[in-house]
Amino acid sequence: MSRTKISERLGLVRYRNQGRHDAKPHITVDTAICDSGCPHQCTTYVCPANCYTLNEEGKLRFQFEDCIECGTCLYACDQGAVTWNYPDPETGRGVEWTFG
Amino acid sequence: MNDDAFDCIIVGGGIAGLSAAMTCARKGLKFLLVERGSFNGAKNVSGGVLWGTRLNDLVPNYWEDDAGYERFVAHRRLTFLDGQSAFSVDFKSAHFHERPYTGLIVLRARFDAWLASKVEEAIAESPWPEDSLLAPDTLVTDLVVENGVVVGIKVGEEEFRARAVILAEGVNNLLTRKAGLQTGYVAADHMATGVKEVIKFKPGVVEERFQLAEGTGLTNEFVGFASGGVEGGGFLYTNRDSLSIGLVLNMKSMRENLGADKKIYDVLSDFKTHPAVRDMIAGGEVIEYSAHVVSTGDMRVMPKELYADGLLLAGECANLLLNSGKAIQGMDYAMESGILAAETVAQAKEAGDFSRNTLKLYREKLEASYVMKDLRRFQGAVKFLHNEAMFTKVPAVVNEFGRSFFTVTNEPTEKVPTLLRRAVDKHASLWEMIKIGIQGGRAL
Repeated sequence: MSRTKISERLGLVRYRNQGRHDAKPHITVDTAICDSGCPHQCTTYVCPANCYTLNEEGKLRFQFEDCIECGTCLYACDQGAVTWNYPDPETGRGVEWTFG
Repeated sequence: MNDDAFDCIIVGGGIAGLSAAMTCARKGLKFLLVERGSFNGAKNVSGGVLWGTRLNDLVPNYWEDDAGYERFVAHRRLTFLDGQSAFSVDFKSAHFHERPYTGLIVLRARFDAWLASKVEEAIAESPWPEDSLLAPDTLVTDLVVENGVVVGIKVGEEEFRARAVILAEGVNNLLTRKAGLQTGYVAADHMATGVKEVIKFKPGVVEERFQLAEGTGLTNEFVGFASGGVEGGGFLYTNRDSLSIGLVLNMKSMRENLGADKKIYDVLSDFKTHPAVRDMIAGGEVIEYSAHVVSTGDMRVMPKELYADGLLLAGECANLLLNSGKAIQGMDYAMESGILAAETVAQAKEAGDFSRNTLKLYREKLEASYVMKDLRRFQGAVKFLHNEAMFTKVPAVVNEFGRSFFTVTNEPTEKVPTLLRRAVDKHASLWEMIKIGIQGGRAL
């Protein structure tokens, strides 16, 4: 049996300000740290929303749009690369659970 | 302090915050509860079971209401999995039908919204029906601190003042950190991530499939194959017409055992393919996928103190959660600590002193309650569950034994001691299993 794709799972998530293209990021990542000295780059496989990925050149890339505010990267990153905040209700994005 | 200040501001409208709010309303305090979601529960995720009976103190005879819970727990099961088999310890009892119930299966977006509606009713009956408020869509950006005393909150450019602030912001406790109560990096080894799906069925299917009489529910925890070699375990809870199925995975162990070819959500996909699990969820439709960080109960990561001048911490921002292997208790700890924090604020108002001299009573109350007593008593269990054998060798041995014991062939059969010995020898050593048995016995 093939594994459910993450895009399919995230397709079930309701986000705030979903139509907004200028939403303000609530998390910033200093990817220079991830790319230079990080021994594990674990955010690329422990983030439940797959917000952290490696591009073709093997560089770490972060996008906040799919973030479900779980907090995993706040704890999983032990290199000090992640600056974590809550999204602003008006200008940010972030999740809105139907069931939770 | 000016007259428009609140007696208490509560940050966060989850179970800790709402329990504090209910207590404030009943004690006649003027309070403000701020919640960053568009409604109470909008940002909250749990497995989840609310254990204990305390809800009945907050909302007496809540079951007569169209209460926001899914089902009450009447059937519990702990299942050991290897790749093919499932060996369960199963307990079902009519005792569980007695009210108040001792476990409620909840979906937080529903439950918290319901509890908030009950708080609104309590506000209407309080001395401050127009002045006490639940304010959604409000993100607290900082605390207002004057001369080392917390006197309010900042919401962007705006300030709101109070004689005391209760932080109930949850495990991602940014304000707790800003207040200096939890400093430094919180070790991933003591934190976990829960991932979960809600799977919907046609009306009646859940009752029939799980043999559930009216209103009753099943909680099923899983160890072994469920977590795919990562420290942690799985869960399945029956909701009204859906199931909550998921995993709680230790973060450090994920860092070491997962990778590009197996990410966190793939472990959940794999768990769902187990023959025993597949049969339970067959025919359902996944309607939500969610995730959230969860504490493990290791007291080493708790904030250094649970109060400061004008400030109290309730719920998981204080890492008040315990996974003893018997149950994951977080929401009941949130409820208990929220109530005790608000009671302390009421006492402080009576004494006219909101400094740490009075607020330390909160610590004393919490220490005297089952929350801190159990947290201290079961630290051994928290460490015991860290043991790799618990999610690898133990479930393998248990299922090896199960297979040999329950399989009937036309060959001569060995007795139980021999079967056990063989199962242990195949996957572990006798000494290792004895050690685990002794440790487990001590831990629980």
